[in-house]
Amino acid sequence: MTHHRVWDPFIRVFHWSVVTLFFANAFVVDDDSKLHHYVGYAVAAALVLRLAWGLIGPTYARFAQFAPSPAGVTAQLSDMATGRKRAHLGHTPLGALMIFNLLLSLAGIALTGYLMTTDMFWGVAWPEDLHEALVTWTEISVVLHVVAVIWESRRTGVNLPRAMVTGIKDIPDGLQIEP
Amino acid sequence: MTRHAPYGLMILIAAQLLCAVFFLGDVVADGLEAGWPHFMDWHFGVEALAALALIAGVGFEIRTLMALLRREAHLKEQLGLAAGAFHEIVTQRFADWGLTPSEQDVALFTLKGLAIPEIATLRGSAEGTVKAHLGGIYRKAGVNSRGAFLALFIEDLMTQPADPVPHHPTPVSPTGT
Repeated sequence: MTHHRVWDPFIRVFHWSVVTLFFANAFVVDDDSKLHHYVGYAVAAALVLRLAWGLIGPTYARFAQFAPSPAGVTAQLSDMATGRKRAHLGHTPLGALMIFNLLLSLAGIALTGYLMTTDMFWGVAWPEDLHEALVTWTEISVVLHVVAVIWESRRTGVNLPRAMVTGIKDIPDGLQIEP
Repeated sequence: MTRHAPYGLMILIAAQLLCAVFFLGDVVADGLEAGWPHFMDWHFGVEALAALALIAGVGFEIRTLMALLRREAHLKEQLGLAAGAFHEIVTQRFADWGLTPSEQDVALFTLKGLAIPEIATLRGSAEGTVKAHLGGIYRKAGVNSRGAFLALFIEDLMTQPADPVPHHPTPVSPTGT
């Protein structure tokens, strides 16, 4: 078992605060309340910080480190097909696709939500429709993300949820390690 | 290996998966709205069947993709017609015995003459796991040693030119590529 510190404190705080804020706005807070707006602004602020961190942050926080390549995706799917195991220190290629999907969807939700509050789009239907469609899309993505994390943890023997809490990936001996 | 990577199939699966989620959501929403008495309404039934058929199709495509990727992983270092033809026979045998994907992988490494520790390293699993896979392979193949297991294929190689392959493996359909 080897231990690798991969997720820095900012990444972890970002992850769990976005989880909390998204859940709050999607299921708890009244859609028409002022609080819904403030929670939305908080998500937008977190996304802007994450964007900056993805460019200047430590190795595993950078977008360039985990930008998925078609070859990487094929390799991960081939591992699944043959039952071979390899651990990735950062995001796996398929995981990275989901990260970009979630970041872009959340940015879309924040943007359309903001448009609804402007005079220009007040009472216009499409920002609201798009806002709701993106929320549904994100909810589906989140379910898929959680299922995939559990699946990959069981497949490779690396406890991924714990790594997002402690920041440390514990990789069993004998597993080939990819960056 | 990127030379043959079935990106078309992957993109098709992703797109159809999205459609399946959309239609399934739509069917469920319709069903909830219609309530119990109208639940078995013909329109609803047709929609539900169509959604299920789509999901079955996606499932089939995923199996095909996995088989393709497995084949490519196995052929990776030995591209060529002869290797391909032998691989057909081998995969057909593996399928007949009902080997799991992991067992197929281990069986192929065994055919290539790799020892248990080497296979464990290549697959990133424990030696005990590989031994368990080998036990399953020998049991399903009806042999009790590595030598007997290898002999099954040597025999195939020696008799092959005389009579054609007993069962032709189903050709992989080039859906969407």
